[in-house]
Amino acid sequence: MIREGSINIPFLYAAGKAGSEFLVALRDRQQLLGSHCPACARTVAPARAFCPGCGGEEMPSVDIGPGAALVSWTDVPGRGVFALVRPDGADNAMLHKLLGPAEGLRPGSRLRAVFADERQGHITDIEGFEILGEGS
Amino acid sequence: MRPVAIIGTGQTDHARRRDDVSQPELVREAASRALTDAGLRPADLDAVVIANMELFEGRAMPELWVGEGAFANGKPCMKVATGGTSGTSSCIAGFHQAASGLFDVVLVVGFEKHSEGHTQTGMALTDPFWDRAVASGALGNFALSISQYMAERGVTEEQAARVAVKSRRNAARNPHAHLKDADATVDDVLNSKLLAHPVRLMDMCPQSDGAAAIVVASADRARELCPRPAWVKAAATRHEQPYIGDIERRLLTMRTLKDASRSVYAAAGITEPLQQFDVAEIYEPVTYAELAWYEILGFCPEGEAGRLIEDGVTEMGGELPVNPSGGVLSANPVGATGVIRMAEAASQILGRAGAHQVEGAETALVTGYGVYAWADAAILGSAA
Repeated sequence: MIREGSINIPFLYAAGKAGSEFLVALRDRQQLLGSHCPACARTVAPARAFCPGCGGEEMPSVDIGPGAALVSWTDVPGRGVFALVRPDGADNAMLHKLLGPAEGLRPGSRLRAVFADERQGHITDIEGFEILGEGS
Repeated sequence: MRPVAIIGTGQTDHARRRDDVSQPELVREAASRALTDAGLRPADLDAVVIANMELFEGRAMPELWVGEGAFANGKPCMKVATGGTSGTSSCIAGFHQAASGLFDVVLVVGFEKHSEGHTQTGMALTDPFWDRAVASGALGNFALSISQYMAERGVTEEQAARVAVKSRRNAARNPHAHLKDADATVDDVLNSKLLAHPVRLMDMCPQSDGAAAIVVASADRARELCPRPAWVKAAATRHEQPYIGDIERRLLTMRTLKDASRSVYAAAGITEPLQQFDVAEIYEPVTYAELAWYEILGFCPEGEAGRLIEDGVTEMGGELPVNPSGGVLSANPVGATGVIRMAEAASQILGRAGAHQVEGAETALVTGYGVYAWADAAILGSAA
């Protein structure tokens, strides 16, 4: 015997202090925020409450992007190009979409964040990253 | 800590669907086979550890539902869930329970019944703000960092395809494997469906229904019960940062696997892994990962993984056979997958691996992998 069914699971997640600050800056200022750890001399994106290196809580927000460098990508048939993108001023990468074909991409290709006209405080307020060129 | 050993293993025959059994019945198959292999009765067990990723089945508290399948009623029982590493981490938890003196005989059982739920949904229920909202699931975990690895290390699609061919051919000699193909070719892999560039269908691990178990015993009990125990020489687990874009959790970097392996190498005196290990059962979720792990595990210098697979170094009969079982590419019931790695490596030391036995195997490496974040490593040996 096999029983079939489905479950619909609603959710209501808190973005937290650092996450909310990032999403508000994105919505109101079209600005990407990272968090800088003075102890590790490292800036991580998106903004977060704890340093991933040392666990510290002193993580002042800093403006990063909108320019960015391509780290790695995948082209998914029918869905587009997804990439790990390192915003200028950050030491790590964020996952997002590329607004363009995958041809000619290589690590280091220059990108720029494109923001949505209607923004709601969501990561998709960034429509994606446009491809500017090969970069250094 | 006391020395501990694996004295028995058991696996189901992993398959796309096991409609004929419930989850506890699936677990019972592996648990019973492990007890038989160890020559024990259920009453001989002091404790049980269970590994499972419950969101894949959409059924809460799996340790409650399947516990009796694992002979856990009336005994201490707990669950470990760390993505793909659930299985290896649960084995290591069992090692610690026996090594600490808390228990003498521990049964570790991992299982997954992917056919009963929706794995992509389970995989996609990650961080809701950054990763899930853009793209997650297997796509984000596997495909995204491969282009960087290929560009940096010069790995080709054909070299990755050779990993798939090795795995499916090895699996043809493993009665428990899910995907077996003794005649697989590089062209078969390169012509299989493109899922997310450069990953093709045959590059990927399947979703399987299956369970696997090991019996862990303290040194005294191991010597009483087993003529040639698989001694645990060292074991380590590592946790990592949460997001896909974080630096250290990519194919190229994979800090957790590097750190866990160096930790067990130091503890067991391994300085030349390619020479000192007789067999390895490593957790390769995708062909490219196996190549990346060759470099991270120190089987070859950076940039030479492609040469290693081309030269047949990791084939059966090569200097270091990697995944004689067919690996994760040939069977992947996620909660069980790490236990399978440990059970396969233990079987090699116990001399019970059958048609895929590496003759005279005395030292084995085991690794676990969980979404580029977690990694585990363990070394098993024939000498206490």
